[in-house]
Amino acid sequence: MNTESTGKLTETMADFEIKDLRVSVEGREILKGVSLSVNKGEVHAVMGPNGSGKSTLSHTLMGHPNYKVISGQVLFKGKDILTLQPEQRAKLGMFLALQYPVVVPGITMSNFLRTAINAKRGYDGKDKSKAINVKEFRALLKDEMSVLRMDDSFLSRYVNEGFSGGEKKRAEILQMAVLKPEIAILDETDSGLDIDSIKFVSDAVNRMRGPELGVLIITHYTRVLKFIKPDYVHVLVNGEFVRSGGPELADWLEAKGYSEWVKEPAKAPAALEAR
Amino acid sequence: MAFTKSAVEELSSLHREPDWLRARRLTSFGIYEGLAVPDTKRQEDWRQVDLKGLDLEGYAPFQQPNGTAPLGALENVGATLRQRGTSPAVVAIAPELTRQGVIFMPLAEAARVHSELVQRYLFTGITPERDKFAALHAALFSGGSFLYVPDGVTIDDPLVSQFWSAGSGSAVLPHSLVIGGKGSRFQYVDEFLSADRQEAALASGSAEVFLEEGANVGYVALQHWSIKTWQFANQRFQLGRDSHLNALAIALGGQMARLRVEAILEGPGSTADLKGLFFGTGDQAFDFRTLQDHVGPHTTSDLLFKGALRDRAKSVYVGVVRVEPEARGSSSNQANRNLLLSEKAKATSEPILEILNNDILRCSHGATVGPVDPEHLFYLESRGIPHPVAERMLVQGFLGEVLDRIPVAQVREAVDQELAARIE
Repeated sequence: MNTESTGKLTETMADFEIKDLRVSVEGREILKGVSLSVNKGEVHAVMGPNGSGKSTLSHTLMGHPNYKVISGQVLFKGKDILTLQPEQRAKLGMFLALQYPVVVPGITMSNFLRTAINAKRGYDGKDKSKAINVKEFRALLKDEMSVLRMDDSFLSRYVNEGFSGGEKKRAEILQMAVLKPEIAILDETDSGLDIDSIKFVSDAVNRMRGPELGVLIITHYTRVLKFIKPDYVHVLVNGEFVRSGGPELADWLEAKGYSEWVKEPAKAPAALEAR
Repeated sequence: MAFTKSAVEELSSLHREPDWLRARRLTSFGIYEGLAVPDTKRQEDWRQVDLKGLDLEGYAPFQQPNGTAPLGALENVGATLRQRGTSPAVVAIAPELTRQGVIFMPLAEAARVHSELVQRYLFTGITPERDKFAALHAALFSGGSFLYVPDGVTIDDPLVSQFWSAGSGSAVLPHSLVIGGKGSRFQYVDEFLSADRQEAALASGSAEVFLEEGANVGYVALQHWSIKTWQFANQRFQLGRDSHLNALAIALGGQMARLRVEAILEGPGSTADLKGLFFGTGDQAFDFRTLQDHVGPHTTSDLLFKGALRDRAKSVYVGVVRVEPEARGSSSNQANRNLLLSEKAKATSEPILEILNNDILRCSHGATVGPVDPEHLFYLESRGIPHPVAERMLVQGFLGEVLDRIPVAQVREAVDQELAARIE
């Protein structure tokens, strides 16, 4: 609701709107009424200490079955996506880069990516004209893989099997790049990454920034925000947003940590930085 | 319609077999008559096997010659042997293999022309005494291949046998005998098929494989009998010094399909890689009994049996690892992974360790039974892949790790296609 400028009651919907979301996991309430508006073209950082509910937020938005919505809405393209299956959310234009991408033995990256792209194009195994052809597929991957410093051998490997931490995260961003979502949630994509990988991943995300993409970066540490500059920063503590602001809030957090709420730094420890 | 002594004699005459083989068949038949159907409550090796509904008297003893095997040329193979029932087999072998002394022919023919060689090995591994079905198999085996690869010969392209069952209501009991000479290297595939997916049959599909010193042998058995087939099959591998075996058993068909796989690691330093794959739908039941028998020192075995079951399909896996007193420095691994795709599908898994020498490097085992991993499903679905497609991909991926080991592209693709169709 926005009544400020005109004084009259007009509903200005953001492109992606989380309204008073309450979520429980195994009977315990984790998110206690979270609201957030994200427009395409914007980058929002959601920051918070351990256990604040960051991963619950990201998983709930994508529809993971372990997270139970108590109340609230998430509106995107005129729909409350909370009623949709993960695959439908993806088709609508949502994407989640997982903090811990799972290893899927027996399915090659190539098969995985191709099937996902085809699903998005509406190919159901029948009308071959809808399926991506080999040439298109290669062309689509070539640029993105070079930005992410991934060589062709990735495509013939099983999904995330034997990938290093950095390779897994890069593979997530590669998926994002080829699926071209309108709302992307990056769940701790920076955690466990060496500084080079953070740069490659950030470069790839920055390339995708633009009027057609809204990004929600979920992170503990401020480090990644030096590479992907957010437009807005929100601090999540104990299942609630306790402060929101511009990019300067990240700098403030880097200096103060989450000390106002809990004893945890928002800056990565030096040892992690050096790795 | 029953198994009789005269049927054994008739079959032996049909194959124009030498006297020694006819005598062996008759001896085996005597053993068959003397043995009872296994007691599935009391006999350890037969526990959990569901023999309800099996009527041994209801089958014709063998399939009369009734036409040649369906043709469909395989590419990139060194030799093929196709046989339907007891009809004469069609054999094609690359001339250079024959020049190198490779022998590849129907077992019945080999019993005549390479009598001494066949006599020395046949049914020495799978003896008729072990149970009633093994005795029946030894008495009335029909069809099957004989493959002999001389010392030092390497064959690049795989050799393939296809055995077709065609004649509802009869026994179809092929037997392959494979001998890999010293330092030989080759891959061999046995494929068992039913012309009609609904025909009733009593089948085996057994193999005895001998690896001499330093031999490197790949063996694949693809069981694709009709869904109304009772199968009782035995595979036995005898490993000589420093030999290496890569074995893969694939089970797709059968109403109740039992397969025993035994690797006897006798030669010091021998290694066996044993893989199994099964996929069951409807009311199919599979029964696998494996034995990794470490007889010699410094022997290594690695076993992985993987399967997926849907509808009301069942599987029983019982795997024995035996480390014999002389087998110091040996290492073994055993794993059985089962994917249940419906609530009524059921898999049981039982490892049995018999360690008679504690000076071993490693002896590990593990079993899993469960549905498709929900985290995997979520991951694929979060990329927009619809649930049924995601599930199919995960099942194919699960089985694919083993399937990729089939050395003949066309056979691999055919299995892939069938799985894709049956998983949906």
